[in-house]
Amino acid sequence: MEQAEVRDVWKDWRLHVTVLLIVIGAELVGSHEFAVGPGVVILLPMLYAIIIGIMLYFTPVISEKQSEKSEPLIVLGVALLLAKIGVIIGPDLPEIIAAGPALLLQELGNVGTVLIALPIAMLLGLRRETVGMTHSVAREPNVGLIMDKFGFSSPEGRGVMAMYIFGTVFGAIFMGLLAGLLATITPIHPLSFAMASGIGSASMMAAASGSLISLFPEMEGQIAAYAGASNLLSLSTGLYVSIFIALPLTEKLYKWFSKKKHKDEVT
Amino acid sequence: MLKNIQEWTLLLTVFGVVTLIGNWIGYDIFSFDAILGMIVLIVISLLGFITQKLVPINIPSVAYIAIYGVLISMPWTPGSEVIVAWTSEIQLLALTTPILAYAGIAIGRSWTDFMKLGWRTIVVASFVLLGTVLGSALIAEVVLRMQGII
Repeated sequence: MEQAEVRDVWKDWRLHVTVLLIVIGAELVGSHEFAVGPGVVILLPMLYAIIIGIMLYFTPVISEKQSEKSEPLIVLGVALLLAKIGVIIGPDLPEIIAAGPALLLQELGNVGTVLIALPIAMLLGLRRETVGMTHSVAREPNVGLIMDKFGFSSPEGRGVMAMYIFGTVFGAIFMGLLAGLLATITPIHPLSFAMASGIGSASMMAAASGSLISLFPEMEGQIAAYAGASNLLSLSTGLYVSIFIALPLTEKLYKWFSKKKHKDEVT
Repeated sequence: MLKNIQEWTLLLTVFGVVTLIGNWIGYDIFSFDAILGMIVLIVISLLGFITQKLVPINIPSVAYIAIYGVLISMPWTPGSEVIVAWTSEIQLLALTTPILAYAGIAIGRSWTDFMKLGWRTIVVASFVLLGTVLGSALIAEVVLRMQGII
């Protein structure tokens, strides 16, 4: 966390009161769910909160400065969230240790991203951006990795930044809907999805596991524990999976697809 | 360092108050235990930030915070039942609402950049998330079944 950013942010009571009003409004509306085909869409107060927040930025209520001051509070809020996840995991630790092998191995599932998303990005006509976009779910460590390897103004850098912004804006909404939908329409067990929802982003994990908990309240403790533990593992191991497995695989697939594409164009 | 700790404490307290009010309105929990639970979470977070500053290895502070949370609440720690009882008064979703409220305000600034990126980003991003969720869930399913957990 940048020290300069944190200075005197707490004094901006107008910002905090605005957020408090957003929270009160969002919590009063409460969570709602409705069926979409065979799946369930769940709208949580946090989804209203982010939408109201974005909209308020375009009104005189929120200034550009206040928007900047919000960033350290996200970091601190996520810190409290991870402390809470920690104390959720703690009592279930014996159970998590029993599930250890599954937790570790499912981290490799993140390469599923490359296999599914890369061909689609190539078909859409994206070029080197593809490598930045599809090598991972583009959370902070992955952005750092791509910047380090290719530079900020490279096509790869643009790709990873686009994904990072998308993930930050829509990741929670998307993961919440996706987890609920997949858990209801596929035969895969909710606990497998609980593990899969920990992809290294606390807000996405919270949205995905929140949807799962609303659908399967009897498994609340286990879902929160698996999702939290998997998120913890993703946070710590995700970068290394990217460096040693996902990024080299992305490069190989990219070369293979662009050669194939080139040949098709020539003939 | 002392100045940092002071700022962190103040900001965590601001955030904690907003969360406690959301916890009250959204989940009907308003108790002395909830306040104690929030204090526990704030102390864990502070310890994590301080550790990150003191340890020369570059590991994000959230990694320490989560581990401290686990250590203080695992069944082998004496008195962990009290910690668990207090912190269970704070709903996970009560914490995420204010985080995303601040995130929305912060994101407003880069909204135009995002809109310029075009529809292809949205399609690719959807498949990136779908890929990681399905990939991880399939592996988890196979291993959990082999272990007989599900």
